[in-house]
Amino acid sequence: MSSVSIKGLSKRFSGKPPTIAIDDLELEIAPGEFLVLLGPSGCGKTTTLRCLAGLETADIGSIAFGDKAVFDAARHLNVSPNKRGIGMVFQSYALWPHMTVRKNVAYPLRARKIKGKQASEWIEEVARLVDTANLLDRYPAQLSGGQQQRVALSRGLVARPELVLFDEPLSNLDARLRELVRTEIYELHQRLKFTAVYVTHDQVEALALGDRLAIMRSGALEQLGTPDEIFEEPASEYVADFIGMSNRLVFERLEQGWTYEGEPLDGDMSWLQTSSPTLTARTRSEDVHLAPPGTAAEWPQTVNLPASVVASEFGGRHLDVVVTIGGTRVQSRIPAGERGGWARGLEAGQQVVASLRFRDLALYDESGALLSSAGRRVAVAS
Amino acid sequence: MLAFLVGVGYLTILPLGRLQYLALEHGGRSYRDAYTRTGEWTTIKYTLLLGVGSLLIAIVVGTGLAWAASSLPRRLRMLRAVPILPIVLPPIAGVLGWAFLLSPHPGYLNQLLRHLPWWSGRFEGPFNIYTLPWIIIITGVSLASFVYLFVASGLENISDELIEAGYVNGSSRAGVFFRVVLPLLRPALVYGTGVALLLGLGQFTAPLLLGANEGVTVLTTDMYFQTQQIPPQYGLAAAVGSPLLIFGILVLFANRILLGNHTRFITHGGKGGFRPSSRGSVPAALSIILYGLFATVLPILSLVIVSLSRYWSGVFDVHQFTLATWRTVTTASGVLPAIYNSVELSVIAAAATLPIAYAAALYLRKQQEHRILGPILDFVVAMPLSIPAVIFGTGFLLTYTHKPFVLYGTKWVIVLVYITLMIPFATRMVLSGIAALGDAYTEASRVSGAGAVRTHLSILAPLLRPTFGGALALMFILLSHEFAASLLVRAPTVNVMGTILYDYYENGGYPLTAVISLIMVGVTTAGVMVALVVGGSESFKKL
Repeated sequence: MSSVSIKGLSKRFSGKPPTIAIDDLELEIAPGEFLVLLGPSGCGKTTTLRCLAGLETADIGSIAFGDKAVFDAARHLNVSPNKRGIGMVFQSYALWPHMTVRKNVAYPLRARKIKGKQASEWIEEVARLVDTANLLDRYPAQLSGGQQQRVALSRGLVARPELVLFDEPLSNLDARLRELVRTEIYELHQRLKFTAVYVTHDQVEALALGDRLAIMRSGALEQLGTPDEIFEEPASEYVADFIGMSNRLVFERLEQGWTYEGEPLDGDMSWLQTSSPTLTARTRSEDVHLAPPGTAAEWPQTVNLPASVVASEFGGRHLDVVVTIGGTRVQSRIPAGERGGWARGLEAGQQVVASLRFRDLALYDESGALLSSAGRRVAVAS
Repeated sequence: MLAFLVGVGYLTILPLGRLQYLALEHGGRSYRDAYTRTGEWTTIKYTLLLGVGSLLIAIVVGTGLAWAASSLPRRLRMLRAVPILPIVLPPIAGVLGWAFLLSPHPGYLNQLLRHLPWWSGRFEGPFNIYTLPWIIIITGVSLASFVYLFVASGLENISDELIEAGYVNGSSRAGVFFRVVLPLLRPALVYGTGVALLLGLGQFTAPLLLGANEGVTVLTTDMYFQTQQIPPQYGLAAAVGSPLLIFGILVLFANRILLGNHTRFITHGGKGGFRPSSRGSVPAALSIILYGLFATVLPILSLVIVSLSRYWSGVFDVHQFTLATWRTVTTASGVLPAIYNSVELSVIAAAATLPIAYAAALYLRKQQEHRILGPILDFVVAMPLSIPAVIFGTGFLLTYTHKPFVLYGTKWVIVLVYITLMIPFATRMVLSGIAALGDAYTEASRVSGAGAVRTHLSILAPLLRPTFGGALALMFILLSHEFAASLLVRAPTVNVMGTILYDYYENGGYPLTAVISLIMVGVTTAGVMVALVVGGSESFKKL
């Protein structure tokens, strides 16, 4: 299994104005590691992947697989895609419609001059692993989306490449199939232990699959870490937003202490040791609790804020409630509770109390640095 | 890339360059001579009248036909193909057919019209096909097909909802057509207009066959006459053709600039295409049938009648019909070899053009990587589309009667000129085929470990097979029609269908001319059939 080393990689696309797709990217991927490149569209993750494949040529920097350099702008070295010994799974599957599944899967072997008994053994094996054995003699157009993606997986893995690249392979599948194939990819990696680089914009996929996640922003790394680290300690608001902490509240330090829109906070915040004049809190909608006025939660280290309901959508087991806390819209997901209960009776304009526990918040100081989060208790007194 | 560009440039640019070089020699003497001749300004005036006049007719008729085709009753939807038929009718056959119909004395239609009370008693007329107005009308009616093709395919790409939004917001059928549909079609119309104007100005067949009687000369026929002088006046011919050359290049540039802002006109959807209302319109169907009658049926009918007559005397008598002329086809001097040449040379040229077009399309597809050479190649490849074939014919005649390659008198000079003329058509078709495939298939092949050669052979070429088939068939059709360039580069011993037909026409062998015309129609029809079988009904949309 091959390690991957990306050094000082930059790539810009000419245009008006020119766009910087990759900006001085540094990344080391260990042999056998499953690395997920995560970010919104336009963050440079796909371009990075295509640079690894050799389908795109970076302007500056170098890429090495193990100790073999495959790209080095300074030395004008650019190994062509077919000589990089990789496998790749495309978003559109890119199965050749004029070939049967068997021919599609055999293609990487033929191209690598692997013939005869060995080739058919490898094809049978990958077909067994990915569960495509019964599809081998059909044409791609006769397959369903999920089957096509399995065939694409087989084709990417059949030649036992050291590095497998995944370009949003699940985004064309419906929700149920997506989970199924995702689990298959996970199991395949566990079994075959190839090095993988996987591009997605879906945080659930990223958390489920990655040994490490690299969250990209404007062509550079915003945070690199294990799923657990990213989830518990989002290093910046950008990361927090991307992993689902979409609610944003800003606290301000005045003479009387911490305030929200001029009103003093009712919780004790003396434990928070910072000199920053403002604090930005990020939280998931599940962590915004609602209660009738006057019955605020009695948890320790909680902020209670008066809020006004804008809309309440019924979601079966839960309710998605939009409230305004002062001038800020906040999403809250609360248990639907009993029929006829308080929660189900929420109406637009109704006054409620929104409670936020500090341990559920990611708090950032003025410079944007993470002060406190679920995974970072250093600054928390108790 | 550079070598390829030089190769294609050698075919498309060098002959034109050599012509200009000759014309500019001795301080541009040829230009001075050409434009100080008596009657030269009349020639230019006639050319402009022909270009603009036929364009106006083509736009009005073509757009009207497209509107009519979109209003057809459901059961008569097949009629949409009728306005395209003149494109597969060899132009020289169409012109001849009309000559047989509207020649002043013996024209069949004129004879019929002389039965009408207000024209009775005349010996000639009422119409004279050999005059400029009729040359303009004939040209305009056949160009209407091109305008129709552009507008109709544009209409099919307009989303129903855009149209329905027009109705819902209170516009009438005509209101929607003029305020929503036509503005959306602006790029199609502008492009169609440019092409039709170029074709009109560069028109050769109709002025040559019809104009000689009454001394109607246009720039293209003037060029041809100069090359027939002894010795050939290439410099003069080049100088005479220059306005067409310059205008063609201008249109090419204008088109490139206009294409810049295409996104404004992209309309999504296009499931059903433009349909003025759910109910069909009978007048629409009638007007299409009428057009088909005049543009296709009547000329072919008159050809059939003449081909079955002993002489073209204007006498229409079924009892006199004979197959005698048809039987002479095998014995008449030069006819069989010409038919054989047409088929053979068309097939060879089409087959040879395809790899060139494939390479050109691949380079054009990767324009990002060829910042300077890409646009130049685009230009070089498109040249033969916007420059009249007569100019290419003259350039090739000059180039290949001189060193280093003296090919005149062989079939190869015809093949070369055919290849040159077909490069733009084939490249466009292959390019749109490659664009439709997208990059993923080839990328998947490269990352699977396949090199460039294997990727082309195992992935791209098999996937493009329908496109290749369509392109081959289209080239065959266009080449088996080819007349203008063939006439210039043919040698007395090497003829194709069009040129042998012209020879017999000049010598007055009208029934045999009609027979050859009908054989051309037959060969073309066979080509169309093959195209439809190989490439599917989409083949002609890519034009």
